[in-house]
Amino acid sequence: MAARRDSDVAMDDAPTSHQPEVKDDTMVDDEGDDFDENEGEEEEEEVEIQRVKLLPGSTETAASFEFANEGHTLGNALRYVIMRNPDVEFCAYAIPHPSEAKMNVRIQTFEGTTAIEALEKGLRDIQELCDVVTEKFVKAAADFAEKKAATG
Amino acid sequence: MDYDPMAMDDAESLGPVVKISQADSVRVKFELQNADISFANSLRRVMLGEIPTIAIDLVEIENNSSVLADEFIAHRLGLIPLNAEGVEHLLYSRDCDCEEYCEHCSVRLTLHARCTGYDNMSVSARDLVPVGERINQTLGTPIITDKDGTGSLILKLRPDQEIKLECIAKKGIAKEHAKWAPSAAIGFEYDPHNKLRHLDLWYESDPKAEWPPSEYAKWEEPPVEGEPFDFDAVPNHFYFNVETAGNLPPDGIVAEGIKVIQQKLAGLIHELTEGEGDGGYDGPRSPEYNSGPDTNYGYSTSYGGNGGNQSAWGGGGGTTPFGGQTSYGGGGWS
Ligand SMILES: [Zn+2]
Repeated sequence: MAARRDSDVAMDDAPTSHQPEVKDDTMVDDEGDDFDENEGEEEEEEVEIQRVKLLPGSTETAASFEFANEGHTLGNALRYVIMRNPDVEFCAYAIPHPSEAKMNVRIQTFEGTTAIEALEKGLRDIQELCDVVTEKFVKAAADFAEKKAATG
Repeated sequence: MDYDPMAMDDAESLGPVVKISQADSVRVKFELQNADISFANSLRRVMLGEIPTIAIDLVEIENNSSVLADEFIAHRLGLIPLNAEGVEHLLYSRDCDCEEYCEHCSVRLTLHARCTGYDNMSVSARDLVPVGERINQTLGTPIITDKDGTGSLILKLRPDQEIKLECIAKKGIAKEHAKWAPSAAIGFEYDPHNKLRHLDLWYESDPKAEWPPSEYAKWEEPPVEGEPFDFDAVPNHFYFNVETAGNLPPDGIVAEGIKVIQQKLAGLIHELTEGEGDGGYDGPRSPEYNSGPDTNYGYSTSYGGNGGNQSAWGGGGGTTPFGGQTSYGGGGWS
């Protein structure tokens, strides 16, 4: 507790431990239900980490998101594509610490859309771009092969 | 000077263009136009580090009387490129139901060589023999591209020395270990004339004489003498040179790279939208935004992230739709 440097969480609400509580769950599971042992699927799905979180203090039009296990690969492209959305007032990303596999994105929108919507649109926009690039690349490769076959 | 603030968007609104200038079994050189540098860089990064391939991950040495230490040989074995065709049907060992490894998540290879002659003997990738069940008959086969047909050299044996071992090749990505990298190298270049001045070229007396022009220099207009700096210019032509280590075809690396980005995005979109009905405890659903003075953005995250969640698993807190680790905890709205 003493290590907490922020006052963003009231003492009463503070977690009793920083250990992921998932651990307890698995333990209980193992003790309680021996038949479950091979049904790893369900269990694993629960253990699977959440990849996007909304950070405290976010409002509808101004939100910060935390991505687990993402970095510049997603961050920069996402930042750019979200910023291109005319309903978005501001978007930026940061990797707060290099030894934590976390990437934060801040989105502030104008009225009429929400930060979460803008994020989703951003992700879909990159998807679309990927589709087009794949299509163009496949076509270019086919054309190149054809040309090569014709000349040589 | 008149300038159109939207001018830089114009090129992009035309949609991306891909031009291939060279393609063979080893490399593909292509140009990506009308895309942002952030996307081009994502593609580069993903091709370097996140395409799944297969590489030797476990080595059990039965006999090694060579001069090289066991772990030294194990390391060399890990770096041998193996054919990754069909690796998408192979499971990651960590996702497999088996105890340690099985045919669904690995390929077994053996190596047994003994020098019986009077001269030293070379043991190379060719001598690695895939054994047992495989997803297909190419997955995990050592890549051999040299004209002698031996593949990479693993070690040498003196007369009467012997090496006998078994390897388990597993699926992985280069972000975890470089042995899983599909590409030997990826060239990435833009603005060959350095018009944007992203580079500050070191030189002794004359940068023009000391820095030979890039092969792409003739593809773009050279700067005009005395031309004013264009503050609105952004890079728009990206030259990739993707060279394979042999495990995947070069154009396959590009296609797989885009696929990895797509999968990343699809996973995130799924997580964002799945909770929308109710069911999901996962995504960052919009809760009742707390109006408290809780505006500690940014840097408090590593601590704040855990902030006060009585999670859906544990505590009495609440099984809210955002339960889990939504990190909204602090406010006490649950
Ligand atoms: Zn297995």
